[in-house]
Amino acid sequence: MTALATHAMPPDRAVARQSLLYIFRERTVALLAALFVVLVMVSAYLGWSATSTVNSIYNDAVVYLTAQGQPIPPNPVHDISPLSLMRNMSIYVSLIGALAAIVIGYQLIAADRKSGVVPLIGARPLERGEYLRGKIAALLAANGALMSVAAVIATATFLILPQVSLSAAGWGKLLLFFVLAYGYMVMFGLLALGTAARTKSESVGLLVPVTAWLTVTFILPSLTGNIHPTAAINPISALAPPPDTTFFHWTGWLIGPFSVAESFKWLSADLLDYLPATAVTGSMVPPLPDFLLALILAAAFAVHSVGVMDFTRGDYDV
Amino acid sequence: MTQPAIETRGLSQRFGDFRAVEDLNLTVAEGEVFGFLGHNGAGKTTTIHMLTTLARPASGSARVAGHDIVTDPLGVRREIGYVPENVRLYDTLTTRENLTFFARLSGVEDASDRIAEVLDFLSIEELADRRVGTFSKGMRQRVGLAQAILHRPGILFLDEPSSGLDPMGMKMLRDLIGRLNREWGMTIFMNTHLLSEIAKSCTSIGVLNHGRLVFHDSIDVVMKRYGDEEALEELYLSVVPVNAKGEAA
Repeated sequence: MTALATHAMPPDRAVARQSLLYIFRERTVALLAALFVVLVMVSAYLGWSATSTVNSIYNDAVVYLTAQGQPIPPNPVHDISPLSLMRNMSIYVSLIGALAAIVIGYQLIAADRKSGVVPLIGARPLERGEYLRGKIAALLAANGALMSVAAVIATATFLILPQVSLSAAGWGKLLLFFVLAYGYMVMFGLLALGTAARTKSESVGLLVPVTAWLTVTFILPSLTGNIHPTAAINPISALAPPPDTTFFHWTGWLIGPFSVAESFKWLSADLLDYLPATAVTGSMVPPLPDFLLALILAAAFAVHSVGVMDFTRGDYDV
Repeated sequence: MTQPAIETRGLSQRFGDFRAVEDLNLTVAEGEVFGFLGHNGAGKTTTIHMLTTLARPASGSARVAGHDIVTDPLGVRREIGYVPENVRLYDTLTTRENLTFFARLSGVEDASDRIAEVLDFLSIEELADRRVGTFSKGMRQRVGLAQAILHRPGILFLDEPSSGLDPMGMKMLRDLIGRLNREWGMTIFMNTHLLSEIAKSCTSIGVLNHGRLVFHDSIDVVMKRYGDEEALEELYLSVVPVNAKGEAA
């Protein structure tokens, strides 16, 4: 009998490669990825446009004030951190970025289940762990590609804008922001990957992570950081302190740990230098541990879900 | 004496209170084409799921190609090929892309050469660069067979391989199974409903009724005892009683 003990390509890498090949042909994934990239470019343009406008007005004012013999005030562009020009990026990451990550994570497993190839994979000489590693590697690669495009656009913006220049520390903070945003997207991707593996129904597999995303993005921030329902998508109003009432004090403290978008927004504001010095978090868990805990829980959920996945069946019930 | 290709001892599977397979003791010798016959829900597919290591048995044991299905599932998987009842592949990928993926998963080093060889063997070279989603049932079945034999497994499991095929497709499949057995030396374990397929393709037969093996012998013995392939129906009905509703009792 034929025995094939060695692998030309490690199975996890074969799974990752195959998964990427498949999802990059998926129109929904391509559409959301394109939308995310366009919005990142819009974010960069808005930052450039706002800075240029202020700078242009300042230059006109300098000419006018000089002619009038008035003292020249400092350029307001220099009063704000150049990193805050990228504040819109945190909006797009928590909206379209997370949604794209959900679709990618979901498709990575759902593609196998809907195609009916799960039993064919399960009868191959690979461990469940190798299958999972392949899927997670594909998730990391796909989200990494998206985030890399965003990072290149942001970097180009800072290099092109003549009015702003980043210090070494500024570049470091920008890099950390992209790592944070990448982690946020991967967290939703892992959640979707887990539900795609665990649920019997195809629609439920997608509905659960989308509902979680809606809850985390729109509902919980209303109860934790701000009474405005769009708190999580507007970094400016989101940073306004919530009303100082007993209700918001306790909801903020209790629900805060579940409000991951709020933690992401807080950490983004901190890294992009637009977090007010007086801002305080009302949650019982500080933003960074909260964010990391959510990421770990999402990973654990994905690992467990693939671990209990039924490889005898290829398809969803509905 | 060579070891059997498949050997089960008291193999059982339960789903809640339902006993899908009960105390299955079965031996399939190397080089056989074994036909596993039974009514819908008899436990044939469940048995294949256990033997291909897709599902763990509730109790009992089995060895496939000398490897224990519970303690050495990877060893089993290296030696087997599996074609499920309704072969489904990645519809948006071509035959070659699908086969490349499964070849890599099976550890085939010279994947492109092996794919060319298998496509040639199955006479489906013209399907190589077409997307699987456009294929008929018969084409799909052959690509399904291709993915299962890419790594030249010693044992091939086929679950209702002729299901949904037209007479021409069934004949082609039967010929391929015969060639895989004769030319590639594969042991074939085939679930089927069709008595005629058993008579034409198999060297031994097992009949499963409500999870229990009620008959197991070589096809030669069956033919000598019952005369011709039509009489297989008589054999089947004698070991699987039918109730008033026409269902297996």
